[in-house]
Amino acid sequence: MTVPESALVFDTGPLRHFSNKGWLGVLRFVAGQRPVYIPDSVESELNEATEYVSATRAVLDAEWINRHRSTDLDYIEAFAHLENRLVVGRKNRGECGVLAMGQIYKCEVVLDDAEPRTIAAEKCIRVTATVPLLCEAIRTKQLTTVMVEALADDLLESKYYLPFGRGGFRSHVLENGLLDWDEL
Amino acid sequence: MVAARAALVRARWAESAASQSSCTTCGSWCAIIAHVTSLDAQTLGGRIRDARKRADLSQEDLGQSVGLDRTAINKIENGTRKVTALELSEIGAALGVRMFTFFEEPVPALVEHRSSQGLDTADSQIDALLARFADEVEFVAALGVDELGLDAASEVSRAAASHPSTNAEAEALALTARGLMGLSSQEPILQLSDSVGKIGLLAFSRDVGKDTADAGTILLRRGAVSLVNSHMKVGRRRLALAHEVGHYLISDAYTVDWRVAENPDHAVPMESRLDRFARALLLPEAAVKQQWQEDVDRLGERSTAIILASKFRVDMATLATRLRELALADSGTVAAVRDYRTTRADLVEMNLYVPLEELAGTTVPRLLALAVLRLVRDERISRERALDLLQGTFDELDLPSIRPRRPDEIWTFVS
Repeated sequence: MTVPESALVFDTGPLRHFSNKGWLGVLRFVAGQRPVYIPDSVESELNEATEYVSATRAVLDAEWINRHRSTDLDYIEAFAHLENRLVVGRKNRGECGVLAMGQIYKCEVVLDDAEPRTIAAEKCIRVTATVPLLCEAIRTKQLTTVMVEALADDLLESKYYLPFGRGGFRSHVLENGLLDWDEL
Repeated sequence: MVAARAALVRARWAESAASQSSCTTCGSWCAIIAHVTSLDAQTLGGRIRDARKRADLSQEDLGQSVGLDRTAINKIENGTRKVTALELSEIGAALGVRMFTFFEEPVPALVEHRSSQGLDTADSQIDALLARFADEVEFVAALGVDELGLDAASEVSRAAASHPSTNAEAEALALTARGLMGLSSQEPILQLSDSVGKIGLLAFSRDVGKDTADAGTILLRRGAVSLVNSHMKVGRRRLALAHEVGHYLISDAYTVDWRVAENPDHAVPMESRLDRFARALLLPEAAVKQQWQEDVDRLGERSTAIILASKFRVDMATLATRLRELALADSGTVAAVRDYRTTRADLVEMNLYVPLEELAGTTVPRLLALAVLRLVRDERISRERALDLLQGTFDELDLPSIRPRRPDEIWTFVS
């Protein structure tokens, strides 16, 4: 199965955090016309997560999220070499699938952890994170700042990493020149 | 580091027929690795079958471990049923190998060894560990980490040591080894496991039990890996590693040694020469002769033996054999030395080193630990994988702290 280069491939972490706080629909919104994919390794991690947090089920039930399951040897070989850098037992297999999709299909991947992002840079895989996607949505007037502020505070509650504290979104983006006053 | 990585990429590029251009994103060689396709389903299936047999598992055993029936495993091994990445990851875990090994040729020494053993032969514990350590060191080396120090192996290659055919040649080889390790001809080797790293030999230890081999060594594409059975006491562990140094210097591709220092000259002359080499390496002739002759009249045989054994960190059996082969002691004295035991009183009264542990339990070579820590600091492998490579000798708190991310890192992608 070929995955279009325009696709966004999500890792387990962002999907789990957004769904657990009831914001999964926002990710669909910011993806816009771009198809959204998860590899079977992420699907497997999400299935395991539903045993502890039932809200994660929303990701698995979302029809707009395409599953990628492949027996293509190029893909499996890419996965295998990534697995050697990241995986012990079953931990981190999700991000291996995400990176392998980025490597083989040249699509953009959404990752938050440092090590897979470093590997993405080494292999010239296009990589982003959820917060930059939200910031871009504000710029293009798809989302309001008020909404993203509330979302960011919710994510912070669930231990999601953001480079600012609760209530700090607006001042952070202004201080760092990431958004202008007129974009807020 | 950059040069090493570039060399690796160029090597892989040479193997790749799939692409003839550099990465379109960054203009470098990075993406070329993505196009290296190495095998088909039948070859992959054959490698799974070989790995299963080495793990001494039946198709049914493997199927039960990974949630597939025996027929499915049979089809996978024949290449008629394809696997997903997750299935292959599970199969690798069940067989005790990393899944990348299904896509890579092992080091030539391992290929040769397995070929000589026969494809249906199950790996011994020491065979399996040597294969694993070889894979892991080659993996870290492929990431181009300077800390591993395998460049030192080129000095060993240049030395071009030949198999010692006489005791004199074994003694000379020991002097050569000392020179390569940057040691003088007479000084004690305090941490042999560190010193061998200076010649590109990475020494691991693991307690693999009483009734098995003392040590083994496998040559890598650069350097080598040794495993010492830490079930033995420290003196025997050091002697076994010294013996492995001999195998490494003369480029023996794959060796597993049982009962080091007990190899009869008539039956296994080369092993006997390497036993001699090991003793000469740890107990250099000139230093032993000088100290024995100077001290024995003044301090007596027992005290002199205890001081010598402590200084050079060998056991009494090794020292006794060394005194005999250097013609420093008669048979009665040799037998007495063999029976001497260092007591706590000796340590205090003679102001001796408290015996330092080396290669005790599970250890990884310091240079490998350094390389892994570099990879952790550079965030190039996961912390979980780092702990796995360090084989439980570190825990999470021992690793470098997680680096706080700079705000610009997460926002970089916005503009």
